[in-house]
Amino acid sequence: MIRETRMKGKALFFWAILSPALALMVWLTAYPMLSVAVTSLQNYNYMTDTRSWVGLGNYGDILGDRLFLQSFRNTLVFCLGTTLVEVFLGIVLALVFYGDFRGKRTFMILAIFPMMLSTMVVCAVWKTLFHYDIGLLNYTLQSLGLERFGWLIDKNKALSSLALVDIWQWTPFSFIVIQAGLASVPAEIFEASLIDGASSRQRVFRITLPILRDQILLLALLRTIDTFKVFAKVYALTGGGPGNATETTSLFIYREAFSYFKFGRSSAASMITLAAVVLMSAFYLRKILKEE
Amino acid sequence: MAAYVAKKRGILFPLALASILFVTLFPIYWIIVTALKPSIENISPVPFLLPHNATLANFAALLSGGYLRNLLNSVFVTGASTLLSLVLALLAAYALCRYRFPFRLNQAFLIWIILAKMLPPVVLAVPIYEVFMKAKFLNSLWGLVLVYQVYTLPYCIWMLFGFVKSLPLEYEEAAEIDGASPLQVLGRIVLPLVRTGIVATAIFTVIVAWDEFLFAVLFIRSPELLTLPLVIVNFIGEFETLWGQLMAVGLLAALPVLLFSRIVYRHMSTAYALGLK
Repeated sequence: MIRETRMKGKALFFWAILSPALALMVWLTAYPMLSVAVTSLQNYNYMTDTRSWVGLGNYGDILGDRLFLQSFRNTLVFCLGTTLVEVFLGIVLALVFYGDFRGKRTFMILAIFPMMLSTMVVCAVWKTLFHYDIGLLNYTLQSLGLERFGWLIDKNKALSSLALVDIWQWTPFSFIVIQAGLASVPAEIFEASLIDGASSRQRVFRITLPILRDQILLLALLRTIDTFKVFAKVYALTGGGPGNATETTSLFIYREAFSYFKFGRSSAASMITLAAVVLMSAFYLRKILKEE
Repeated sequence: MAAYVAKKRGILFPLALASILFVTLFPIYWIIVTALKPSIENISPVPFLLPHNATLANFAALLSGGYLRNLLNSVFVTGASTLLSLVLALLAAYALCRYRFPFRLNQAFLIWIILAKMLPPVVLAVPIYEVFMKAKFLNSLWGLVLVYQVYTLPYCIWMLFGFVKSLPLEYEEAAEIDGASPLQVLGRIVLPLVRTGIVATAIFTVIVAWDEFLFAVLFIRSPELLTLPLVIVNFIGEFETLWGQLMAVGLLAALPVLLFSRIVYRHMSTAYALGLK
């Protein structure tokens, strides 16, 4: 009897300490998700606060919207491009700086500075570096006898310039993750392959990369999810321009909702974005889980 | 230990080292130099690598412009949201580790919050905006503290869940036999044991909250409530070439988190090597 009341008291205690976090997450994520799913099927008039069902009308509308398609394409290009480059550079850097050397700790700490900065600080400094007339990059190009670059104002280059900023900021993350992975592999494995006469290319492609496969995939997953959300960089550096060259889905949803108050359309666009994120994550996770 | 790809003695290795450091650090150097230059030097068509007449005028302008207030806003929002997340997350993580809730709630909740963290936050923005409008949380720093839980709470729960799970049960059982209440067990036994884990978690939370932009730009209207990222974006947008002041704000926003680099490095180089598989 005493034991039973004690068990009950414990259950009550655990429910009590879980519930604040549970309630907050339901309120801030589960409810909004449901609300977006419902609103995507409705025509919601913000001014009169009336809703009418339109079925899949918003989805048809969005999928036929050239600006949305362009924003989706830009987001994919940005996301896959930056992820690929960041992971690749991370691997190269981790291999080059493998092992111990004097000042390695200090070097690593300095090397992760970019990812420690606020995104807005990063944007601010790159905005000045990219400036067409008085930016340092164009000045350097010109003094080398080259043409000035329209970093942020040429519609064929703006998206790549944004990618460059992301790569500068986040390659350190790939670097540190891969080098931690490499450091956890016993050095004997590499030494043994050296004695067996493996060439350095063989050692990289046949031994190191397969061992680090899961870590590399997980890193790619993290970067894909993160770069797919890109908002602050675009907002601060180009505002989606020039033209629509750097419009991304986050910016599109933001504008549909908070500039044009088209909540039905913004919700449908949100659901499509969501589906894309889930699909991409499933792709990576399946690969990660397959071998185990 | 054998060198992996490159020999570390030749000329190439120090060269690689130097060029990586140059690419990494130059923009940060540029922030500092630009903040120290008088505005006339910053708009010169021939940029100088060093200020000719170094000055603190940009920082003085920030002080007289009342931007100290914005720094304090950022400090408050970051501190409060980190504290709130840590408290809620420790309670939740402990419950999830030590008690099996019905309907497989343990797994469902953990998976749900990691999914929520993967979403682009703008997807949640409209409904949250509406809810906050009704609750009068818009244009308030407390509102930001609450909404930042979308980012920070899932992360803290997952991290602390890992730390609590790795604790041996014996201490808690012993305390229980001695008649300690569950709350005492949590406060006196578990809390001290996961202290280092809490510090590591807190630092990552601080970085995220310090950096947050989307909800801040949506929720905050009054100039006196702006956080530093908003001040910076306004500077970028409105005064195209007040670069000295822009970088002075940037420096204010950069320094506090840069101080954590050592701890982040130490933590990441162990966490990712062992845990995240």
